[in-house]
Amino acid sequence: MTETSLTVAVIDPSPARAAILEEGLRASGVEHVAVIPDGPGLQARVAALKPDVIVVHLESPSRDVLEQMSGLSRQAERPVAMFVDRSNQTMMQAAVDAGISAYVVDGLRADRIRSILDIAILRFNAFARLQRELEEARSELADRKLIERAKGILMARKSLSEDEAYKLLRRQAMNEKRKIADIARAIVTAADLLG
Amino acid sequence: MRLTLGYVPLADAAPVIAAATLGFARDEGLDLALSREPSWATLRDRLALGHLDAAHMLGALALASALGLSGPQADLCVPMALNLNGNALTVSSALWAEMAPERDALPDVAAAFAALARTRATEGRPLTLGTVHPFSSHSYQLRLFARLGGLNLDAHVRLVVVPPPDTVDALRRGLIDGFCVGAPWNAIAVAAGLGRIAALGCDIAPDCPEKVLALPAHGAGFAPALVRAVHRAGLWCADPANRPALATLLAEQAGLGPDRALLARTLAGDLILDTAGTTRQAPAYLRLDAAVYRPDPAHARWFAAQMAACGQAEGDDLAERAAALYRPDLFDEATGG
Repeated sequence: MTETSLTVAVIDPSPARAAILEEGLRASGVEHVAVIPDGPGLQARVAALKPDVIVVHLESPSRDVLEQMSGLSRQAERPVAMFVDRSNQTMMQAAVDAGISAYVVDGLRADRIRSILDIAILRFNAFARLQRELEEARSELADRKLIERAKGILMARKSLSEDEAYKLLRRQAMNEKRKIADIARAIVTAADLLG
Repeated sequence: MRLTLGYVPLADAAPVIAAATLGFARDEGLDLALSREPSWATLRDRLALGHLDAAHMLGALALASALGLSGPQADLCVPMALNLNGNALTVSSALWAEMAPERDALPDVAAAFAALARTRATEGRPLTLGTVHPFSSHSYQLRLFARLGGLNLDAHVRLVVVPPPDTVDALRRGLIDGFCVGAPWNAIAVAAGLGRIAALGCDIAPDCPEKVLALPAHGAGFAPALVRAVHRAGLWCADPANRPALATLLAEQAGLGPDRALLARTLAGDLILDTAGTTRQAPAYLRLDAAVYRPDPAHARWFAAQMAACGQAEGDDLAERAAALYRPDLFDEATGG
């Protein structure tokens, strides 16, 4: 069960990832979610929002700023401390692996923020997976274009049909234990060089 | 063996950068990769959780991490120091003009700062100074500087954290009135026409401990080889003849470019203090000489005393627990000293 009464701030150098986490927190019933951009105005924004939990990406340059706002600073109206749950090492490791750290208002019990961190871990990992898939899709598209060009070269030079050209590529790839795209790249490069 | 070492873009990362890029690590059979970290907290957590094998780290933060005072408690040790000194307090040109100290000497500057800080606090618009992390010699030097002028820093001045590469921009935007940060960011602020170097860290606290090499205390079988590589790199940095090459290395590899001449002057302690071009020779400004690398447990005790003085930590055994994390024995073993 997610705490709906908490105010959560999200700080992330990637606006897209921040938006995904914001949406995830809202979907699970956290009403007060604010995305605060990294940068010089951050300390004032955090002070004004008075969040109970700050979920911040591990790579955010603002992390040192948040540490200064911790209980050691007299300016801090609501001291925040880095959330370290020693009783749940697995979750802490998962959070850091996903690129997350959290700062919580002093005195907030660990169990009240655990569900928020769980959502953050899920969403951040999903984001990383999406990015990876997008990257794969991009390279797959590039591969397909290469193969098309290589087929065209073979068809013109060796008077093959499209199907025969593809079979030739595939056979060469199998013989050399390489990917078809690699063979295609070699053919395209050679054709470019030899004219 | 492949290792990843985290660092923050600063001139005192020189020994680790030289170790990784000039072949000193390779000579020890190590494939040393550098990882530039966006904040000290990121570096600390990555080291604590094993994403980094070693780090160029604020001495105070390495102790705080190992003592469980900052972030997840980490099993760290300090087998080597990386430098002494290197910090300075730079104030905006406007603040320097308002302070108008009688002379440039530290007591006069501290007194002028203290007087102005009190006035501004009374008027309800306190001065804002930047530091780099709560657990840093920078924060402690700012408090000592204030005390020289009879001022309680925490009661009269807003202290904010600004990551080192952002300090110059924060001064430009008027978000802070001054900052205490390591080389070369003070010189860069002066070169940009934004401020005046008001005090050197080595004047406030002579031979002040600064960055260290932090490693996991257990299971780091690579420690002797790494310490040897970084130490040999440090001795290379210590040779004044290598300063031009080191300045180029820092400009290209450490994210401190593009002004190589400025970096070379910084390494030599040949400082330009203000936009009018006032110069000062301070050979001890940033110490990377051969005498700085053996870790001195007295430095850990000094950090512990500063932590206690500003309420960051307490306990009768704090100083001894901190001192035990500094390991000159490992340094001697590795370097045959």
